[in-house]
Amino acid sequence: MKQKNKPNAAGAVTIVVTGDRPELFFQHCTSHGIRIWDVMKTSNQACQGTISLKDTKYIKGLRRGMHYKIKFIDRKGFPFIIRRYLRKKELLFAFILSCLFLFILSNIVWDVKITGVPKDIEEKIGKQLKEYGIQPGSWIFSLNSPKQIQQQLLSDVPELLWVGIDQKGTTFQLEGVEKIVVKEEAEPKPRNLIAAKKGIIKKMYVSQGVPKVEVHDYVEKGDLLVSGKMVDEEESEENEKKKIKYVAADGDITALTWYEVKVSVPLKTSSEQLTGNQEKKYHLGFGDFNIPVWGFGSPDFKNIQQEKQEAKLRFLKWDLPVKIIETKLHEKTYTSVKRTKQEAIEAGITQAKEQLKLELGEASILSEKVLHETIENGKVKLNLYMSVEENIIATQPLRQGD
Amino acid sequence: MKKWHQQIRPWLTKSFALPSDVLLELPRITVIGQLHVYIENHKGLASYSDTELKLKANKGYIRITGSAFVLKLMLPEEILLEGTIRDITFIPDGGEGYETKK
Repeated sequence: MKQKNKPNAAGAVTIVVTGDRPELFFQHCTSHGIRIWDVMKTSNQACQGTISLKDTKYIKGLRRGMHYKIKFIDRKGFPFIIRRYLRKKELLFAFILSCLFLFILSNIVWDVKITGVPKDIEEKIGKQLKEYGIQPGSWIFSLNSPKQIQQQLLSDVPELLWVGIDQKGTTFQLEGVEKIVVKEEAEPKPRNLIAAKKGIIKKMYVSQGVPKVEVHDYVEKGDLLVSGKMVDEEESEENEKKKIKYVAADGDITALTWYEVKVSVPLKTSSEQLTGNQEKKYHLGFGDFNIPVWGFGSPDFKNIQQEKQEAKLRFLKWDLPVKIIETKLHEKTYTSVKRTKQEAIEAGITQAKEQLKLELGEASILSEKVLHETIENGKVKLNLYMSVEENIIATQPLRQGD
Repeated sequence: MKKWHQQIRPWLTKSFALPSDVLLELPRITVIGQLHVYIENHKGLASYSDTELKLKANKGYIRITGSAFVLKLMLPEEILLEGTIRDITFIPDGGEGYETKK
């Protein structure tokens, strides 16, 4: 005996049939394959039964040509409940509104936590984050990715050695590590100054120590320039014992040095440049499918540099499969330049100078001379000789007691 | 032809122990105490009231009397009756005990 006569999910309707011998109408229905349950004879002329919602339309057809009257008296089941709620506009409105609210709130930054750094730096980071737009109340999807923020923070807050950003739902957790700036020792230990590279000394200024070379002297790498070993000579003549004092030699010794630099410069160059014109487009993305939301049509730029940024929408703690895609279209231009040999050499020289300056740091390049030049595969290869004035000191600790 | 057909069926049920309700198209009635009657293979409802249910069967009628009858389920060939059952009567076609109630 199978008893599956309560299909509440599909909805059920109770009907009352009135007429002569009403039960025969139900018999008529069952022979047409309609399931009826809870049949009760309420009076001689009336009979009540329940049928499922989807069968009601057949009932109306079956009634045709018969002398029965049908009345619907009760509705049960899920479809009717839904219909009843749908009829209440305020309730529906409130439900949608609350969903929307929840959705909006789960896409907002609620809290920014900074840990691992002292208060002053914490404040500094907080200020910096506010500048980027990360503060309670801002949209999550309008922010850059944690990686980008991390890099920005590191460059903007020099006190930070490292910062980790973790986005946990609607809170941003930052963990910073402070850079500990080690102060130089107040009194350096006794030392000598030696030459870091070979050169001809041009200028000397010794603030402490005994100079061992003179201007216009040629020094090799490692030669002693200023000694930290001071001997008091007057006293030593009188007493047999020499009084030796060790000091930290210090000074500036500028020398003329020279370098050979090899560069190769192409005769034909092409470069890309952004003109500064840009357009923004917004898309809603469902998986691979994108719906444009803002910014239709394509800009009339000839060459376009695209920059895409995706931000996922969230609902409570879940990531929705919907994302907002911001596309920036930049106009760019290609410029190609053909150079003559002379121009290429000039470009090569400036390039070599810059290269050398980058390598040496503080140094002034006095003169350059082209030693050798060849043209190969559309490139000019240059051998340059450069003379440079730079500080050549290096320190060498002195061992005391020797 | 039909007669031969009908004759062979009782013989089949007897010799092969096949269920008789399937082969002979007879109603199968399951009674649970006084509470339920479950009738399968009936041929339609003849009359129904609070105290009496009459069903057409292969040959004749089945009459169930009692009180507080509710048809819990009605399907093309099945009926589940609920109530207090007093008796179940088989009424052969045009035979004795056949009475028309109006």
